[in-house]
Amino acid sequence: MTRRVALGLAIVALAVAPAAAAPSGEVKIGLAAEPNTFDPHLTVGRNSQIFIVNVYDGLTARDAQGNLVPALAESWKRLTPTTWQFALRKGVKFHNGDDFNAESVKFTLDRATNPETKATISSELGTIASTEIVDSFTVNVITRTPDFLLPVRLGELFGLMLSPKHTNAVGKEAIATRPNGTGPFKLVTWSKNDQMVLESNESYWRGAPKVKKITVRPILEDAARIAALQAGEVDLITPIPYARIGELKRNDKLVIKTIAAPRVFHVTIDVRKPPFDNVKVRQALNYGVDVNAIVKSLYFGYGTRLATVVDKGALGYDPSVPPYPFDPNKAKALLAEAGFPNGFETEFDSFTGSIADHAKPAEAIVGYLQKVGVKVKQNVFEFAAFGPRRVQNRTAPLFIYSIGNAYLEPSWVIRWLTQGGLGMHYKNARLDEMLTRIEATDDRIKRAQQYSDVQKLIKDEAPFIFLFQADAVFGMSNRIDYTPRPDETQWLYPLALRG
Amino acid sequence: MRAYIAARLATAILVVLGVSAVSFFLTFLTGDPAEIMLPPGATAAQITKFRAEWGFDDPLPVQYWRFLHRAVQGDFGISLRHGQSSLPLIAARLPATLQLTVTAMLLAIALAVPLGVLAATHRGGKIDLLAMGVALFGQSVPNFWLAIMMILLFAVSWGVLPTSGRGGWAHVVMPATAIAINLTALLTRLVRTAVIEVLAEDYVRTARGKGLRELFVLGRHAVPNALIPLVTVIGLQFGYILGGAVVIETIFTWPGVGLFTIQAILNRDYPVVQASVFILATAVVLINLAVDLVYVWLDPRIRVA
Repeated sequence: MTRRVALGLAIVALAVAPAAAAPSGEVKIGLAAEPNTFDPHLTVGRNSQIFIVNVYDGLTARDAQGNLVPALAESWKRLTPTTWQFALRKGVKFHNGDDFNAESVKFTLDRATNPETKATISSELGTIASTEIVDSFTVNVITRTPDFLLPVRLGELFGLMLSPKHTNAVGKEAIATRPNGTGPFKLVTWSKNDQMVLESNESYWRGAPKVKKITVRPILEDAARIAALQAGEVDLITPIPYARIGELKRNDKLVIKTIAAPRVFHVTIDVRKPPFDNVKVRQALNYGVDVNAIVKSLYFGYGTRLATVVDKGALGYDPSVPPYPFDPNKAKALLAEAGFPNGFETEFDSFTGSIADHAKPAEAIVGYLQKVGVKVKQNVFEFAAFGPRRVQNRTAPLFIYSIGNAYLEPSWVIRWLTQGGLGMHYKNARLDEMLTRIEATDDRIKRAQQYSDVQKLIKDEAPFIFLFQADAVFGMSNRIDYTPRPDETQWLYPLALRG
Repeated sequence: MRAYIAARLATAILVVLGVSAVSFFLTFLTGDPAEIMLPPGATAAQITKFRAEWGFDDPLPVQYWRFLHRAVQGDFGISLRHGQSSLPLIAARLPATLQLTVTAMLLAIALAVPLGVLAATHRGGKIDLLAMGVALFGQSVPNFWLAIMMILLFAVSWGVLPTSGRGGWAHVVMPATAIAINLTALLTRLVRTAVIEVLAEDYVRTARGKGLRELFVLGRHAVPNALIPLVTVIGLQFGYILGGAVVIETIFTWPGVGLFTIQAILNRDYPVVQASVFILATAVVLINLAVDLVYVWLDPRIRVA
């Protein structure tokens, strides 16, 4: 009797245990853009990098809150300033059954850094000098200069691991459409601009995903993408124009989720050129623009006013540093103090056709600047035509731009924004020194604390007109459960069907 | 006749070459793919290095010569974005575009011919007014607007047609209609005018005078003669139809050449742009040639000098 009860309980336990549930069902997704390739070294654009991770894994990953967590590496440590050691996870297999080990890591990083690969992501892995196999599950990555960000770089965007055997066997062209990763999903079919079918990897090392089949359709036009969600053709879409959110929220079959994306909008000021070499002028520009009103009207409130160029999801974001308040009188007073009581003339570059809308906020900013007496001529370029202007340092004294903080690390963003090229010429020895100290600190918590002073300094120096970060918007049917990630990654592993 | 075709083919080659040269220089003069291809965190030095690796920093004539040298061998290069050979990429999308454009064209002809004939035979009457109203609507409505309105009505509100994408014939209905609408309007007006003119001809009066039934007069004498200019216009319009397909394919994410090309242009994926321009220009030139030959065949009075 007791045995029978025990057996019965065991059966019930098996039936209800979620871990034992095999993947089931299908979810259809409509995306504005699909990846250009599944070759992780030739990805073009954030849309590709944030998606293909579903088929691969990096050495590291992010959790739902954006914290760095182990993935194919179980742990890592810096042995010397230029040597990182990664202890790899054992028992992981690629989709075709190949074993993941130290050889896979060396092969992948050698391929990524080999000039013959012409890797589009080489700029992100440029510090890597070599990779050494210590034993089957330990590798040392040696960098040219100390690189505190290496474990983050070798994460889901730029550190996806390839199987040496498969990659060599299929060749460079075929790897684009026939990936073999260790990730939660396998690519079954892909017809570009048409549809892509992913199937769950039931032997995934984190446990099988909950959904068996995912069909991804690129639906480029906003109206058509929203229509597909409304008509029930797809269960999940992104992005959604802010103007449509209200209407979709009233539909009780749909759920709209927004999350602050790490894209930081700002106006770069050419500090070398008078009158912008005067800090009072730069501060005046910051007082003169009503960023809250821009967020409210252009983004329907789905954005966050930022005090500096550090986004709120970034390590060490300090909410106690207040943004410049909108104060046109103060702006005029500062301009007068700087010797421009009647303002001055300048130019402002903006562009269309990039991943995010820059032209509309630019127009609003120009309008505000006019009101405090700065006579601004706005130029609008097509994005591909604006690129060479930046490379050749021919940008106007003011230009709008945005940078996605892929690593959620302020130092990475600030180093890029102060690189002395691409139209960005602000330099500050104290800031440099502070960042160098931060970059020598491997402990995240200790690093986070030091960023507070960095934000205060940048705000006072005002080498940019500080703007905002906009929300990413996801629409889904109420038959699915999905939580967007704060780092833009379209990580489908936790996706589940309700009920 | 053979000499005529040979001369036309020679011109066709020159046209395709010219179009590809113009598009090559235009895409180059308006931007560079390096910044688009690299992650946003790339520095100026990394961009410069990347441009050198890919040969984007070579002088334009050098790059054009490299392109031409390969193109004559049918090799348009590897797509910068897709990492695959660009001509097969475009060729694989041609059937989707042809399905859409040919359907649109047939739809336009099927609507315009009866509508135009009816309008001509009921000149000044209610049917004429209706037909001309339809034509005016068709000519003035922007096809992208019509496309989105159709999606809202037929796919979202009524749920009778799929919103976008390519699948069965139900998927073709809305995009083909959106492309056909302007052409239908143009052809209706054309057919109406041509039939009115032909109906005033002496031979039609003779036919009527012989006591032939009106339907026979129309079917045997008037309409076939009125359709000759229609053939020319349809041939000329094919280029416009392909142009319209670019917009409509984008709205409906129809996986054809148009959508692929527009993405390639925005991304400055030169090899794909070149392959696409080559294929589209060739298609337009060949169809125009075919139309001219049909024209000669339809109207024996047209002889080549």
